[in-house]
Amino acid sequence: MKIFGAEQERTLGSLYGAEAAEVYSALLRSLSVVLEEEVAPLSLALDEGKEGISRPRRVLFDQGLCKLPHPAEFGGMDIPFGVYALAMELAGAADASTAMSLGIHNTVADAVSRFGSPEQKKRFLPALLSGKKLAAFALTEPTSGSDARAMHTTAAREGRHYVIEGSKMFITNAGEADLYLVFAATGDGHGAFLVEGTNPGLKVGKPLKEKLGMRASHTAEVRLAKCKVPEDSLLGKEGAGFEQAKQLLDSSRIVMGMICVGIARVAYAEALAYAKGRDLFGKKLSDMQLTREKVANAAMETNASRLLCMHAARLKESGKPYSSEAAQGKVLATESAARTCDAAIQLLGGYGYTSADVHRHWRDARLLTIGEGASEVLRLLIASQELEKEP
Amino acid sequence: MTGAVLSYSESPDLAGEVAAAGQEVAKMLGAEAVSLELDEVSPGLLTANKVVLVKGELPLEAIADSAAAGILELVKARGFGALLIAETRFGTIVAAKVAARLRVGSLGKGKKLRVDEGRLVIERDVYGGRFTATVASRLPCVAVVQAGAYEAADASPGPAESVAVTVGEPKVAITQTKQGQQGEAGIKSALKIVSAGRGFARKEDLVIAQDLASALGASLGCSRPLSSDLGWMGEEAHIGLTGAYVHPQLYVAIGISGQLQHVAGIKDSKVIVAINKDAHAPIFQVADYGIVGDLYEVVPALTKALKQG
Amino acid sequence: MNIVVLVKSAVDEAELKADQSGHPVLKGAATKMSAFDMNGVEEAVKLKEKNGGTVIVLTLGGPEAKKAIKEAMAMGGTKAVHVLAEAADAPDSLGTAYCLAQAIKRIGAVDLVVSSEGASDTYQGEVGAMVAEFLDLPFIAYAKKVETDGVKVRCEQGLRGTVRVLEARLPAVVSVVSEANVPRYPTLLQVMVAGKKAIEDVPIASLKGPDYPDTGTVVVDVSVQSASRKRVIFDGTPEEAARKLAGALKQEGVL
Repeated sequence: MKIFGAEQERTLGSLYGAEAAEVYSALLRSLSVVLEEEVAPLSLALDEGKEGISRPRRVLFDQGLCKLPHPAEFGGMDIPFGVYALAMELAGAADASTAMSLGIHNTVADAVSRFGSPEQKKRFLPALLSGKKLAAFALTEPTSGSDARAMHTTAAREGRHYVIEGSKMFITNAGEADLYLVFAATGDGHGAFLVEGTNPGLKVGKPLKEKLGMRASHTAEVRLAKCKVPEDSLLGKEGAGFEQAKQLLDSSRIVMGMICVGIARVAYAEALAYAKGRDLFGKKLSDMQLTREKVANAAMETNASRLLCMHAARLKESGKPYSSEAAQGKVLATESAARTCDAAIQLLGGYGYTSADVHRHWRDARLLTIGEGASEVLRLLIASQELEKEP
Repeated sequence: MTGAVLSYSESPDLAGEVAAAGQEVAKMLGAEAVSLELDEVSPGLLTANKVVLVKGELPLEAIADSAAAGILELVKARGFGALLIAETRFGTIVAAKVAARLRVGSLGKGKKLRVDEGRLVIERDVYGGRFTATVASRLPCVAVVQAGAYEAADASPGPAESVAVTVGEPKVAITQTKQGQQGEAGIKSALKIVSAGRGFARKEDLVIAQDLASALGASLGCSRPLSSDLGWMGEEAHIGLTGAYVHPQLYVAIGISGQLQHVAGIKDSKVIVAINKDAHAPIFQVADYGIVGDLYEVVPALTKALKQG
Repeated sequence: MNIVVLVKSAVDEAELKADQSGHPVLKGAATKMSAFDMNGVEEAVKLKEKNGGTVIVLTLGGPEAKKAIKEAMAMGGTKAVHVLAEAADAPDSLGTAYCLAQAIKRIGAVDLVVSSEGASDTYQGEVGAMVAEFLDLPFIAYAKKVETDGVKVRCEQGLRGTVRVLEARLPAVVSVVSEANVPRYPTLLQVMVAGKKAIEDVPIASLKGPDYPDTGTVVVDVSVQSASRKRVIFDGTPEEAARKLAGALKQEGVL
């Protein structure tokens, strides 16, 4: 499958106009070459644990994938967020685990860029954008996922320090990260803290090896016991943490949705190639009406997902509210990706069920209907915004 | 009358083939067919064409510069209708140089030469061998003849006419030469080929392919990564767009995915067999027979089955 | 040292489709830098990095060739010259070489011209040699290794069967094979910066002198090749499949 094809080029053209789209197309085409040659061929081995994620992640850091949406002042490229989101679709098509690891890493970079002090930006951003430092986003807790306000982790001020106590669960990049963005209750509100991976008060639990999908990315519990951090580790103001998390997740959801668009495209392309070649009752599998229904659904849902996510991205770029659209995009993209991947398994039949090259796409997509805001919670968010609207 | 149709091959193995091409074109033009030989007559040359042996003070075939200069001297003196050169890397350079120096058309590398309205026409592969381009040029012109496109005549040449030429000092000097194991034309004329690709995990494992080749009486070839990137086999074994075009009766591709560049070089094979563990590998699209499976199991089984007859 | 690297914009042959009548659908077909030219650019850029100087990307083609030029610029080209020829004016290989040679003469002080072993669409591999003839420069073909001290160029040449070391005085023309190097991936930042660099456009007509070689060489037709293969897959255990295959080959009479 061509990772950057005519479809993506057309999307760029219709969203950004011919002139800008030419520049962005050149960027994404160049990225897609690296993805096709250096990342996608590792994907199966990554799923099987025969290859480590640091290799493809390094390749993409070196390419500058994480630099795209960030300010040039700190080593970024000032490229519109939507183009970055499309880049993450391509990365998701090459390898979902790698894309997710980088997407979450970049959410932390986004946090520093948006809420950090000038000193924090200078200190962390260049290293995060070039991949010299890897970051993890530590919000979810063993007993509070979607209900983030219920978090038990606390940060208490002690002179010129904070002492963080608590536990964070299902943390992507845990154990590998050099920097953790830890959310904790600070009395009357919440705060976000930049905690170095070397902090003796930060301990990473055993990697969760029994994951269904996204097997190459590292996931573990992060425990904070008497984790003492200097006061300038606080991102922005004390009490702003919850609002910060919400804003960061809004844009991260677009990225996760786009990763799922990439996953769906690969599964769909594989199934389609098989259906066109497989003989059945004197016809091709792709000639069967029930196959064609699956094909049409996959095409519609994948395109609709991309467009809804990109719509949210464009709203974000223009400074308009996009929280609901981002949630809609994520729910549609992740759920339809799971459906498309399921249909791909069905079309490939026994081969689909027994080959990791097929079912890993479904396993990968399946995570994202849960992580970064479960579908149910996001539907509540969408509905409540709808109900607030004037009839 | 049109000037003579000259044919030339740097590789003795292809000299008969290109001479046959020259014979055919000469007939169509009503011209004389001449096999050009540089330095010495190719041993075992099969042709009924008149043979002209061109000699310089220094060996002409040492370097493309000199070979081109030698041919130029001859055609300047005698004129020509068309110059057909056998497909080798050396031949390709000589053809380009002669065409540029004489400012005559260059038809490129192809087959099925014919004459149409006084023009020479060739068919050549383009776009990775997925399409055929038909190209025509006014006479005189130069063309490169694909290996395997013509069959050498079953005739021994008469005595050669010797022509002495004076060519200048070449602009390029050879400072060192290392001989490879096999001539370039070896694999090009093989009747059976077993070919290995990236599906082999280690160089030592190529013995599996070699065993099959021995059982079949086949030559061993490979896809580009094995010769260029890994260096497991010599460059002369490399089959494909940038290597040798082959046309065997039987071509067995083992652990070769079937990229366009490879397929371009094998599509003139009579029967293509593919063995690959990936059922989606494009090689199966261009194969007559295929087995989806682990080459480490399938190939020894095939070798055994063939030995048992 | 000033290095000119010849780059061709080629149709992506894997993506190219045929229409109902079997002709390639070239209008709107995806194009890119000819794959082998990436090795040429890589070699030129490596030589520049080692010896200093500039890499001038030289292309002949239609407006769509800008894409290939920018790809080459992203890999490290210093500047670019685009000989603009619409498809209708596209010359044959000899005409192309003539125009490229004229453009190189205009560029002026050029020490080395680097080309690749052939274009990925036509793979004739003759333009480099022809350019050398038009410029009356030494030509070393199929180089696997290129070294220069600024006075001479030394190359390892692979002519299959033999490997030779060749040497010529600069200025010279060298064509490299793809095993010469592994082309770098430009970073996204380099791609962005390259996209903004100016490209000098030269209309092809302005290069054609009275000595332009009009050889009357034309492409009469381009048609898709039909590959009708049996595509039979044998299944079963390796032994069963192997036996079936051996039987089929016997029947084909190719054993």
